[in-house]
Amino acid sequence: MDNIKNLVSRFDTYIRTHKPEQLVIPPLIVLVIALIVLGGMYVTTGSPVRLGFQFEGGTIIELDTPDSYDDLKVAFMDYPLIGVSESGNRKMLKFGPMDSDKEESLVAKVNSEYEYATPEIKQADPIYARSLQKQAIKAILISFCLMAVVVFLIFRTFVPSVAVVLSAFSDIMIASAFIAITGIELSLGTIAALLMLIGYSVDSDILLTTRLLKRRGNLDDKVTSAMTTGLTMTSTTLAAILMMYLVSAYSYLIVPSFPQISIISDITIVLLFGLAADLMNTWMLNTGILKWHLQKQRGRRT
Amino acid sequence: MAPAEAKGAENMKLHKDFRVIVYVIAMLLALIVIHPTYDDGLSSNLQYGLDLEGGTSLQLKLEGVIAGVEADPAQIIEEEYSDAFGEIEIIEASETEVIFRTPEPLNKDEIDAIGYGSVHVRDNEVTLTINKEYVIQAYLSRYLECEVVYLGSNMYEIRSAIGESELSDVLAEVGGSIATDMRGKPVFRDAVTKETQKTTEAILSEKLNIWGLKDVPITPVEDNILMVDLAGVDLDTAMEIVATPGKFEIRIQTTENETEHVTWGDHITAVDIPKMRDGAWGVGFTVDGVGANAIRDAAVESGAVDDPEAHELIMLLDDEVIYSAPLASELAESLQELYDKNQDVPSYALVATTGAGDVGKETVEQLYIHLRAGALPVEVDVIGSWQVPAALGAQFKEQTILAGILALLMVALTIFLRYHQKNILIPMVATSVSEVFMILGFAAAIGWQLDLPAIAGIIAVIGTGIDHLVIITDEVLYEGRMPSKKVYLSRIARAFAIIFAAATTTIIAMSPLLFMGFGALKGFAITTIVGVLIGVLIARPVYGRVIRELLE
Repeated sequence: MDNIKNLVSRFDTYIRTHKPEQLVIPPLIVLVIALIVLGGMYVTTGSPVRLGFQFEGGTIIELDTPDSYDDLKVAFMDYPLIGVSESGNRKMLKFGPMDSDKEESLVAKVNSEYEYATPEIKQADPIYARSLQKQAIKAILISFCLMAVVVFLIFRTFVPSVAVVLSAFSDIMIASAFIAITGIELSLGTIAALLMLIGYSVDSDILLTTRLLKRRGNLDDKVTSAMTTGLTMTSTTLAAILMMYLVSAYSYLIVPSFPQISIISDITIVLLFGLAADLMNTWMLNTGILKWHLQKQRGRRT
Repeated sequence: MAPAEAKGAENMKLHKDFRVIVYVIAMLLALIVIHPTYDDGLSSNLQYGLDLEGGTSLQLKLEGVIAGVEADPAQIIEEEYSDAFGEIEIIEASETEVIFRTPEPLNKDEIDAIGYGSVHVRDNEVTLTINKEYVIQAYLSRYLECEVVYLGSNMYEIRSAIGESELSDVLAEVGGSIATDMRGKPVFRDAVTKETQKTTEAILSEKLNIWGLKDVPITPVEDNILMVDLAGVDLDTAMEIVATPGKFEIRIQTTENETEHVTWGDHITAVDIPKMRDGAWGVGFTVDGVGANAIRDAAVESGAVDDPEAHELIMLLDDEVIYSAPLASELAESLQELYDKNQDVPSYALVATTGAGDVGKETVEQLYIHLRAGALPVEVDVIGSWQVPAALGAQFKEQTILAGILALLMVALTIFLRYHQKNILIPMVATSVSEVFMILGFAAAIGWQLDLPAIAGIIAVIGTGIDHLVIITDEVLYEGRMPSKKVYLSRIARAFAIIFAAATTTIIAMSPLLFMGFGALKGFAITTIVGVLIGVLIARPVYGRVIRELLE
């Protein structure tokens, strides 16, 4: 409790002692950096984030085998092996696209020679993967626009709605930039997480906006109370997601035979980044814009 | 659930609150449909996806094209008959009749052999009664080497993976083209019709049934993708059964290196169970009258009846030879006799032998399935697959349960650190757990399979659910204690305004996943959306009611 209270009061003091413009600047700088990172990645690699096999095509094989990297390289020399990575006992072999005969022989080889190694095999066709890319972008755009429409319908005032939509946009961009920097590959899981983030990141913004617009009282006090609630919300969610991430990505450190559950670790890592960004965007960017907006309104009224 | 009931006993008002009643009914329904039982370990009506059970999931693309075609049947006739008989001269042409003159007088049979329409010949003048769509369809089918189906309003379904330029080249030969839409774009889509998708689905399902897998979930996605989940089957086996069209053909050897088509598998009427005969696996089947006549004619015309050894009867599955052997001598004799008398052959039985040992057995089993269920109308291409061995699935299941429990504990700890009150902590955790229970009940009721993404969705719902409970708590306890009833009501109304707004954005943001082609994420979207709805409409109102009782 002390930790949370301490954190809240420190943050609170910061917000009370800074002007709205000052609050808005750091998150905007981070947003700009995120956009530069994504833009830079796009220019250099043709895609803002690294694409996983589902969006690029290829084959992933995971084996619970004691064979070394060199052993595996020799064993699979007839196939377009791109790389091998390791987590606990499990080795992950990544292959580039190959024709269907080759793929069939690879699958047959793995299922006969490595049957002991509980092989997990994932394949994606490159052509279909590319159409999935377009779909993914479309899904994110549609989802974001629908969210923006709902926000405008809820608040029916321009500046507060824009503030909410802007901070949600920033959450997604910053989360994507983190994905790009850390080299996480875009998968169906990360797409799901980005969509989740679109819906989720506005929760605390809606709380804040409702509290500030609809409740009477001192503006700073209202921010403080909203923040106490909002930070509790975000910390419970972060707690849940952090546990899921640790179990899905790192349980092999405790029990080496435990596999990674990539779809869950993908979803959770993106949500972790996104929620961290959301802390800043809600309580600095969105709060700053709202405070500025309300102070201006009050100034006009008197 | 516990606090609601415990409180209900002391307080009649809570007991009668309709929100509480709805909640209790929902929980009981969930309990009934999940039906947890304990035999040697916990079991229930919940179904798990194959990423937790083990098996293979395949995404199949049905290869086909739907295109608008503009072509003049008379030009097709001119090209085609000129190719066969030398420059012909069209005298008169309409959409139903074409009259032309050939350089040499021909007999009816020669012209009939080309097809396209019914023929009337007088010397070297030929009258061909045609049907425009049929002519185009037959022409495309001949040159694209696949089945073509007319769909109406100049649209054709081409059941093969052909490119736009390929179609356009074939049409250009006869002065035709791919039709364009109002914006001038060619009408050419990589797609098959809903009917073709349904037929493929039905045949696949039957093949899997014969294979011994009952009620395999096959999900159509968009208009040319099928997702098939095969529990307990590995990827190579799955591909052999599902990803091959299973096109059966009988051919006959004409010269040493050449063969000629005799008949397709659709003339097979009955198929016996595979048996071991004389040390080799074989499957017996019956050919209908049309197929039998085709075999009679081919056997005689190729010379197989006179010299069976040099003219083997060949059976192919998806263009690969699975059986090749001379005709039995008695059969050869009887075929010659029937041919001479121009008598129809009654349907008769043949046996395809596939060899000895495991290879022979495996081939015969596949052949049996494909002969019985028939060929798929289109070729299918595996565009994505996922094989999870059962042992790995079991580990995934254990780990996700562990993740869920740890997540819930961490959430409870955080809540306790914030409020330091078990009167808040217990109802919150209980509400959250009951929401999960109701989501599972819903999944069991509609027979939805819980897969990894769905479980991620459920845990995400725990996260947002707790958030909403925090909003309710903080709104109601704004001054740190329970306010008067009037204030409580207006606060709870405001809390729910925030919660409904937040829930709406979450549902809306997830909705594209329901309608777009991400089959694998549908479970995630559905559980998240259903979970949010259950939480907002059933569980969280009760929480608001219960904390009032507890904290007053």
